[in-house]
This record gives sequence, C-alpha cells and structure tokens, in this order.
Amino acid sequence: MAKYSVIGHRLPRIDAVQKATGKVTFGVDVRLPAMLYGKLLRSPYPHARIVHIETSRAAAIPGVKAVITGQDIPENRVGYAVKDEYCLARDEVRCIGDPVAAVAAEDEEAAERAVEAIEVDYEELPAIFDAEEAAKPGVPLVHPDLSSYTTTSLMGRRFSPQPGTNICNRQQRRLGDVERGFRESDLVFEDTFRTQMVHHGYIEPHAAMAFVDPSGQITVWCNTQRPYGIRDYLATALGVPMSRIRVIGTKVGAGFGGKISPRVEPGCVLLSQKTGRPVKMVMTREEELTATAGRVPSVVKVKTGVRLDGTIMARKVDILFDTGAYAEGLPPSNRAINDAAGPYKVAHLEINSTLVYTNKMRGTPFRGLGVPQAAWAVEVQTDIIAERLGMDPLDFRLKNAVDEGDPDSTGAPLHSVGVKDCLRQTAQAIGWGQPKSGPYRGRGIAALHKSPTSVLSASGAIVKLNEDGTLTVLTGASDIGQGSDTLLCMIAAEVLGVRLEDVSIVSADTEVTPFDHGTFSSRLTLYAGNAVRHAATDARQQVLRLAAELLEAPVEDLETRDRRVFVREQPQIGMPLADVVLASIASRGRPIMGQGSAHGPGTGLVEGAVPGWKYGAHAAQVEVDPDTGQVTVLKFVATHDYGQAINPTMAEGQIEGGVGMGVSCALSEEVLFDGGRVVNPTFMDYRILTSADMPPIESHIVEVPLPEGPFGAKGGGEPSVIAVAPAIANAIYDAIGVRIADLPITPEKILQALDKKRRHGPKIRG
Amino acid sequence: MKQLISLKVNGTTHEVAVEPYWTLLNVIRDHLGLTGTKRGCDSGDCGACTVIMNGKPVNSCLVLAVDARDRDILTIEGLAQDGKLHPLQEAFIEKGGIQCGYCTPGMIMMAKALLDENPRPTEAQVRQAIAGNLCRCTGYVKIVEAILAASEAMTPAKP
Ligand code: FES
Ligand code: FES
Repeated sequence: MAKYSVIGHRLPRIDAVQKATGKVTFGVDVRLPAMLYGKLLRSPYPHARIVHIETSRAAAIPGVKAVITGQDIPENRVGYAVKDEYCLARDEVRCIGDPVAAVAAEDEEAAERAVEAIEVDYEELPAIFDAEEAAKPGVPLVHPDLSSYTTTSLMGRRFSPQPGTNICNRQQRRLGDVERGFRESDLVFEDTFRTQMVHHGYIEPHAAMAFVDPSGQITVWCNTQRPYGIRDYLATALGVPMSRIRVIGTKVGAGFGGKISPRVEPGCVLLSQKTGRPVKMVMTREEELTATAGRVPSVVKVKTGVRLDGTIMARKVDILFDTGAYAEGLPPSNRAINDAAGPYKVAHLEINSTLVYTNKMRGTPFRGLGVPQAAWAVEVQTDIIAERLGMDPLDFRLKNAVDEGDPDSTGAPLHSVGVKDCLRQTAQAIGWGQPKSGPYRGRGIAALHKSPTSVLSASGAIVKLNEDGTLTVLTGASDIGQGSDTLLCMIAAEVLGVRLEDVSIVSADTEVTPFDHGTFSSRLTLYAGNAVRHAATDARQQVLRLAAELLEAPVEDLETRDRRVFVREQPQIGMPLADVVLASIASRGRPIMGQGSAHGPGTGLVEGAVPGWKYGAHAAQVEVDPDTGQVTVLKFVATHDYGQAINPTMAEGQIEGGVGMGVSCALSEEVLFDGGRVVNPTFMDYRILTSADMPPIESHIVEVPLPEGPFGAKGGGEPSVIAVAPAIANAIYDAIGVRIADLPITPEKILQALDKKRRHGPKIRG
Repeated sequence: MKQLISLKVNGTTHEVAVEPYWTLLNVIRDHLGLTGTKRGCDSGDCGACTVIMNGKPVNSCLVLAVDARDRDILTIEGLAQDGKLHPLQEAFIEKGGIQCGYCTPGMIMMAKALLDENPRPTEAQVRQAIAGNLCRCTGYVKIVEAILAASEAMTPAKP
C-alpha cells in the first residue's frame, strides 16, 4: 500500500480544467463596469532633474479623466526592500523608464495620446552604468541621500549602505580562517566570472485594477506574487492604515521573482482616488522589457585553495551585484553570502557581497535569488581545478560534497543532505565516463544547493470543515503557476483523510486569508505547507476529540481516512467525518476550524536560520559547431532532492521548467544596454528559446526527507535553474577545450575563444 | 470611422462596430468578452493569442478585425463540445502540460490546428508546430507529451 493516500500521487492540479478551457481570471482579464484605462509616462533619460511638467494639453484631450505627477501625491518614499523611490518621480529620475506621470482615460487610445501630450522639462545629470566603475569613489551618485534610507518592514533586514558612495549593501560571511586555509593549500586558483541581466520573461504582463470607493476604501486586483507586500507598499505610499486596503491576487501568468514588487498598482490606486472610478493598467511587452526589472547582473571573483589530494581547503568569493537604479537586489545580495561556496565542505570560507546602484533598469529577485550567479562561477572553477589536479570532475565533486552533519556557511550542521545521490544519478543518466558519441561533443556536470528562507518569513493558514465533511483552506500564499494551491489542498486532504476533490482553497486575499510573506525563495511548500498542515492537524484534533466522545473510544485510538473517523483496530466502529462536523455544530455550537502557522526549530546560529537546504545536480551533453560557434544541447539531465515530492508530476514540471529557463539564459538571453537604454525590448530581439530549440530534458527526483517539512517535503521551484549554465559550459570545455567566463555563451564568444586557443593554447576567458 | 462587421466566433455570429485598426485579439477579448485568448506581446512573437481562422492558426494580434469578417473563428472557449473537453484539453490536464496556464489556450489551439492537418505528428513535428508559442514555465516537455498523447487518443496507431 502506498505510504500516503494523497501525498506523492500524480494528481492533476486543481485549476487545470479552468485553465485548459480559458476560464480563469488572470490580472489582464479583470474588468469592472465604468472602468478607466491607465498609462504611465516614463523617463527617457537615465539620470535627470525634473524641472517642470506641463499636463494641461494632456488633460484637455477628450476622454481623459485625470493626469497626475509626483507633485500630486504624498511625499512618502517606498520600495520593495529599501525605501529609495516614489510611486511617481518627484524631482529626479534615476533610470530610463522611471514613471513620472500617470493618466486615466475612457479608452486606451486616449490614455496613450494623453501620455504623449505631457511635456516634461528635464535637466540631464551625469549618469553611471558600469557596476565596477560605480563602486569606486568620486563617481556620480545615483542616490546622494542614501544615508537617510531605511528598509521596508517586511523585507529588508540586512542592509548596510555606504553613504557617499553607490554601494547600497555590503555583507560578509566568514567561517574558519581563510588566509590560513590558503597558506595550507598546495594550489590556489583565482578566476573572474560575469553574469548578464536576464528578464523573467513571464508571458502575462503586469496588470492591476484598483477601485477606491467614496469612503476611501481601496481594493486592488493584481497578478502579484506577494499580496501582503503590495498592501504594505500601498499603505506606506499613501499613508493610510492597512485596514483601508484590500489586495486580491488574481491568477498569475507566472512570475519567477518578477512579480514581487508593485509596478502598476500604485498608479491605478492614485488615479482611482482622483477619478472615483475603477482604473486598470496593463503593461506592454516593451514596458516589461525596459521598465520592470531583471536578474541582478554580477561580477564574481572566486579564489579557491586545494591540496593535491583534491581536498578543498579554502574559498573566498567576492560578488559585485549591479542593482540598477533601485535596491530590489538586496535580497539576492544577502542570500549569496549563505550559498556562494557551493555544496562543498569548505573549512575556511569568506564571502563578500556588494550591491551597487547604477542608472539602469533595476535588478530584482529572480528564480534562485543570487545563487545562480555564484554557482556559475564556482561550478566552472570546480572543473578548472579538477582538470589541474588530474581528477575526474565528478570524483572531485563527490570527494568534497557535503554530507549529513557537515557545517553550512553559518557553521550549523546540515541535515537531509541529498547532493551526492543527485550527483550520482545525474552522472549515470548522462552517460558519464562513457566514450564520446562524436567529435566536438562533450559532457559537463555541476552540483548545486540553496539555503532555506529564514523563519523570519511567516505563513498562516486556516482550515474550515464544511457540514458535509469537505473542507476549505485559507492561505495568504499566491499560486503563481507553480501549483501551490494544489499542493496545499493535497496536504490538508492527507491530514484529514479526505480526497483532493473534497478540498477547496481561497488564496492571496489580504482581507480574507491569513498573513503570508509571499511566493519567493521556494518557501511555500515548507512554510505555507507547514501552516496548512498545522491548521489541518488542529481541525483534526477537534474532530477526534468529539468523535472520541461519540464513539466512546480514546482519542489516541482514532484514525481519519476515506472521509471517516474510526477506531484504528476496529474500522467498523466509526462514523463519517460529516457527522462529526454536524454534531459539533448542532450539539456543541462549535464549527470546526483549525489554525496554523509555519514554525520549526531554528538552527540557532544565525538569526532565523532554519534547516532544509535543497540539493541538486545538473548535467549536459553538447555538440559544438567549430565553424559557427553554435552550441547544441543534445540532452540535459537534472536531479533534485525534494525531501518528498508532494506531487511528482508537478515536481518534474518545476525541474523541466527551471532547466528550460536555464538553458535559454545560458545560451541566448540577455537584456542588452546601450548606456542606460535597453536596445532589445521585444520577444523578437530578446530571445527565449522555443520548443524547437529546447533540448530533451530528463528529470529525476531524489527524496531525502526533511523531518521539519510537511510529510518530509523541502519544496523547491528555484533550484532547477541554478547550475544549468555551468553544466553546459563544462560540457563545452569537454567538447572543444575552451572555457567561457561570461554569460550568455554566444556563438561569437565560442569562436573568439577557439581563435585564442589556436593561438595561445587553452586558457580561462578564451 | 467605425464600421459594422459580422464575426463568426465559436459558431455564433456577432455584429460588432470596429475601428479599422482594431485587431481581432482586441475585439475577441474586449468586445466579445472571450478572455480565454491571451495577449503576451501584441506583436506576433509569443503565440499566446493563437486562434483558428478558417481552419488555420493565426496570431490574432496580427489580424485586423475587419479582415476577419465573415471568417470562421475558433477560440479556446469553443473547443469543448457539449460540456465535454477536447482530447487535447484532457491531455494537457492529465500530463501536467499546464502550469501558470497563460500560454495554454494558444498552445492548445496551435496543437489543434496541427492535429487537424497531421493527426499523427512526430515529436519533432510537434516541436516545430508550436515553435511560435512561448512557454516560460514548462520547458515544453509536458506540453509536447500532452500533444502526442492527445494525438494517440484521437487517432490510435493502426495495429
Ligand atoms: S500576443 Fe499575439 S503573438 Fe503575442
Ligand atoms: S504554463 Fe506558464 S507560460 Fe506556459
């Protein structure tokens, strides 16, 4: 018999029928009677002072109902992590795309015409675009007021700005004595790597609808990953209490980190306040690619000391992150100090993470939260070291990979460690060690880990039992396509012994559902999942206590399964779950409703650190055309340790989707800047790989249960993207003997590297 | 100047007054309220807006509404018949071909056009057929599986 009746089963997601028939409401689909269309006017300059804005011509256009600028709104600084901007620019713009005015009109065309009719006088200011330059003294400052900035109450915990510079955060993690480690090494390697900005590329653009009623009550419908974050932002921006704001999450056409921060919500609210009518905004694809955000670009220096026997002695990682004009890169820059060393035993460790402002489109969390950037560097260097040592890259990884009980970067012992299993399964599936199947072909492997989000992020849940024994889950978590609604219902069904179809869910509505920090950092399975498990367990306890009285049996002897409560050893003595719920209502006046929140023991070493690191391994088989530089990935294998896959089909879907995104980001995607201007703002020029270009992706699941997780689950939507690029780069080296240090791996870089190799012999950076 | 045209969508004829520059996508979504068809780029690059017009798949963001007059248009809402899902819809649900679901209507319509023309496509033919439809969530793996499974269910291989 299967261990569980719901968990671990391949059940279709609960909203699949609606999605397959076009009957779900995404953000772009929300409509209200008498709604207006909103548009934003954006800055054409990377850095400028706003001298004057003239709106009279725009306001006179027929159909235009409101035009507002930064001078019309409360002077409250807001932000996602750091409060470093205004909803509409007041005196200064800091990047191309900064919103400077907002318009509401009866139809989209009138709104567009009005935006074009607004006249703005700018005085251009010196701008800075290169992160390494921006970190130096004596350069133009993106935020001269940095010293007065504070973090938001929900997000920004570690924040150490360097006022008078463009450095908005600097963090360090040390373990052991890194200098001693290097002294005790036989060989020391130092390499520099770069990662590009990539865009999240969700297909549904940002969309919001807001309605402010005559009493001032604000309702916002939006496709967000974080309804409570949006509410907090709006409360700060408008200076109104949270009780006046309701944020309702719609279905989300995916996010990957890109829909964490508000983009159009504030404008809709301000325009609705002004007009008294509902206002809707939907971003164009060009706005998405020029005025939202992307993955934080990085320069990563890795220094590693090893013994000749292949033991890693010491590692120092210095990462410079380019957050662009606003500090949404804070969480990735903080997370990197936990994870940058890779899933290896490193006794002596130092990680430095620096986040700098530049006058470009901002960086923001992106699937993997700073970890893919570090993994790109560390995993490519791992192969460089293995080659120098004359070791097989797989053996070198297995020799140094962490085991149960080894310390993590904070010094806390690791548990539920599946990295070696992942490496072995991946290696076997890619045919590691077998003869190459042709010239210019090669295999590459890479390992990965990701630290869990700290307990300082919270999830709450409520489970209500209905009179017929079915139930409803209330959660603040938003299902952005990864399927959390389905997973949470499966957890509740398993605890209470009902079927998945007996469970319904209400999610992501700040006025109805309990608090949840939001969908990011692969935290929902562990946090929202535990909250629901505890809430369902609480409801179950209430059921069992009453059933014990009714059945005259001790509580400990009772079981819930197949919609019944019964005596474990004598299943014929029992009653339908529905009868217990009805009895509780009818004879005790007590509806059954359970409450739960996420909690678990912290590791105690660093504030809020918790167990539950996620592990995986990636491998690629590639073929390179030496004449064109074209890389073809023939096959990609990814193995991930999920603790317990709550729904294997969905777990595989997360692996395949992350790998697909990873391959695309490794070989094709880059937001290209000319100064501060994005020059490839369409899907035609910003190339996401299609089904015809995507390699076959093979997913494997390893389950090393996490005792603290719901049914042993760790979760993990992000890890599948983390080591894709280095696995491909290592395979390219195996195929043609050149290493690429800067992402993406384009045909031009391959050809240049081949050319240099012909002239100088193989070397890092071609 | 608006002109009155008749559009036949999912078997129902609608009289709509349209501006000459309105796209079929605008009219379907904003005037007929059939929001199952999605907009991802408005420039022919993502395939989210795919509908079937006179048997051929088109990006409805690239078709002017006036050019769609009197044509037979099928959208995702018209695919299930008498409350029974189309085998493609069944397969997408069963195989896990749907994550966020935003690309799904376009993918399914594109796949339907393929299977109408080629009931037993190879995997490579499926991948080629949906190459104009971007999906950011699935790596296309389970979408391709779903289309092949639907093809198998609709036209079983001859023994
Ligand atoms: S919306 Fe038509 S192709 Fe993207
Ligand atoms: S399922 Fe999200 S874009 Fe395809």
